[in-house]
Amino acid sequence: MPCGEYFTSYDDRMGLIRWRTERVAFLLALPIPFLIPFVLGGGAVSMLTRIFVFVIAVLGLNVILGYAGEIVLAQGAFMAIGAYSSTRIVAELGAGLIPGMLVGGLLTATIAVIFGLPSWKVKGFYIAISTLALQFIALWFFQNSELAFIHGGSQQNVPREVGLIGDFATVSTATEQYFLILTVTVIFVLATLNLSRTGIARVFRGIHENDLSSAVLGINVFKNKLLAYAIGGFMIGVAGSLYSIYIGFVDPGSYTIELTLEHYVMLLLGGMGRVWGAIIGVAAVTIAQDEIRTLLREYAADATTLEPVFFGVLIIVVLAVEPKGIIAGLGQIKDYLRKWPYAY
Amino acid sequence: MSVVGTLFEVTVTGIGLGAIYALVAIGFSLIYKVTGVLNFAQGQLALLGAYLVVVLSTPLLVALELPASAAIVATLVFGLLLGVFLERVVFRHFIGEPVLSVIIVTLALGGIITGMVRFLIGPQYRAYPEAIRPDWSLPLPFGVDLSASFTLGVALSLVVVVALMLFFRYTVIGSILRAGSSDQQAAMVLGVSIERTILLSWALSIAITSIGGLLFAMSAGGAGFTIEAVGVLIFAAVVFGGLDSIPGAFIGSIVVGLIQQLGAFYAEPVIGPGVGQVLPMVFLLVVILVKPYGLFGTERIERL
Repeated sequence: MPCGEYFTSYDDRMGLIRWRTERVAFLLALPIPFLIPFVLGGGAVSMLTRIFVFVIAVLGLNVILGYAGEIVLAQGAFMAIGAYSSTRIVAELGAGLIPGMLVGGLLTATIAVIFGLPSWKVKGFYIAISTLALQFIALWFFQNSELAFIHGGSQQNVPREVGLIGDFATVSTATEQYFLILTVTVIFVLATLNLSRTGIARVFRGIHENDLSSAVLGINVFKNKLLAYAIGGFMIGVAGSLYSIYIGFVDPGSYTIELTLEHYVMLLLGGMGRVWGAIIGVAAVTIAQDEIRTLLREYAADATTLEPVFFGVLIIVVLAVEPKGIIAGLGQIKDYLRKWPYAY
Repeated sequence: MSVVGTLFEVTVTGIGLGAIYALVAIGFSLIYKVTGVLNFAQGQLALLGAYLVVVLSTPLLVALELPASAAIVATLVFGLLLGVFLERVVFRHFIGEPVLSVIIVTLALGGIITGMVRFLIGPQYRAYPEAIRPDWSLPLPFGVDLSASFTLGVALSLVVVVALMLFFRYTVIGSILRAGSSDQQAAMVLGVSIERTILLSWALSIAITSIGGLLFAMSAGGAGFTIEAVGVLIFAAVVFGGLDSIPGAFIGSIVVGLIQQLGAFYAEPVIGPGVGQVLPMVFLLVVILVKPYGLFGTERIERL
């Protein structure tokens, strides 16, 4: 390994794949996601699909929280809006998955922007409170069967066989679902990686660091905050619609405040504001959750209620020990190893 | 019953409900005032208080059948100790940390408490012992009968609220708390131990919150997981009253209680069940958009 890292051009510095190690690792890792469904069993594929769905949702949260620094506690509500609206498009109109995802995402983005309006006057925990209010209003709305003419019934089944557009290219088996969700995830990961390299996310980060200074520098703070809400909301909405396809039905019980907390654990454990951090966090938490659930079920049937206890303790410890998450810890290890055994 | 009588009954229950919310809300704004921590776990702390009475006074979980009054006192003491414990173990590490960390820690704390209660006691509704569920009722004008547990809950909460206000106004400890909240630096210079003030305010806040949960459960006849919703409803109350104002928390709670009851009675047949709990949330959003610092809150002015 070289004793320092040098870039000869700005393009190199800003590249997505910058070093030879990364290039080799990328080429070696490239076929793995495509081989997995043929090598591993159904359980592992299902878990990976779940991880991919949550990666999209957590990346959306990352745009709002990690880049723009707005504390949004309505992850469950946003995913529910995406799920219910796409279910209506898919099941009743029969227009197919891609229109469903787009409509779900756009509708969620609209709602996110509307509930981002308080950021005109206030910031910080007022936003947390108002989005928490959205969470409760949304849950009530989707549970209320008298409003079924809007959301189409509080519990619905999503058809097993759905075409991408209309009846064209149907997706029905778990493997097909896996590839569909993998594709969408890759698109969003690339989009977020590129977003963080462009001016948009730099403006977001500026607002995150100090909104008054950004305003003095001529940045329209309110407009950019709303833009962050729209981008993040769109991603979370799409994740919601994919989640409804993944679990096969929609039910308000899957979009509670616990989901919000889970996504915060994932993002903060991985590393806030970092795309790879979000991916690592989602994978680590989902796998750990699976292991713990099996472990608890062996211990007692009703011990699964202890799951939030585990997550709560985990997040408190993470925030107290290393608030920047796993990815910052990995960076420290890398720095240490590079200079090892002489720390100069 | 006449229209006026119905309106009167709904209003009275609304004010009563508001008085019970007021205790939880005061617990919230006390902590916010002194330490700046926004406690998202108030609902779960209230829940803990409500269930503790059941655990102590019935042979559930521990075979310790305390008389009702002793159970209530024990809950109060437990709340004080829990406050000290949480401050020492958890919140001390998060002084000066960003708002996000504190919010997530309190949310996680709420999750921990709910998970534990669900695991230890189960998700069922638990009725209170007979001694704190008397069966008389209070006759009011317009032919309205107020049930005893509700009357008791309301009366007790009004007493506690008044006592707290007198405590903050006229006792030495109360004025130390007010001093610590208005300017930590100046209070330290004058010889007030801020560390002890923060500890005391946590203990007091959680004890008050437990009593709030207990009274709420008493007015419903027993403890259930619906108490958790109080934690969100009080946000409407404290934001309306101003986050760092204790009288504001009280007035806001009364308003929220009224909105909830009137909404539940008049809007529910039209829109559907549960509107009562959602209307305060809509109210909260309107308040945040129109007057974010509330009635009595101090407006924060930022400079570069």
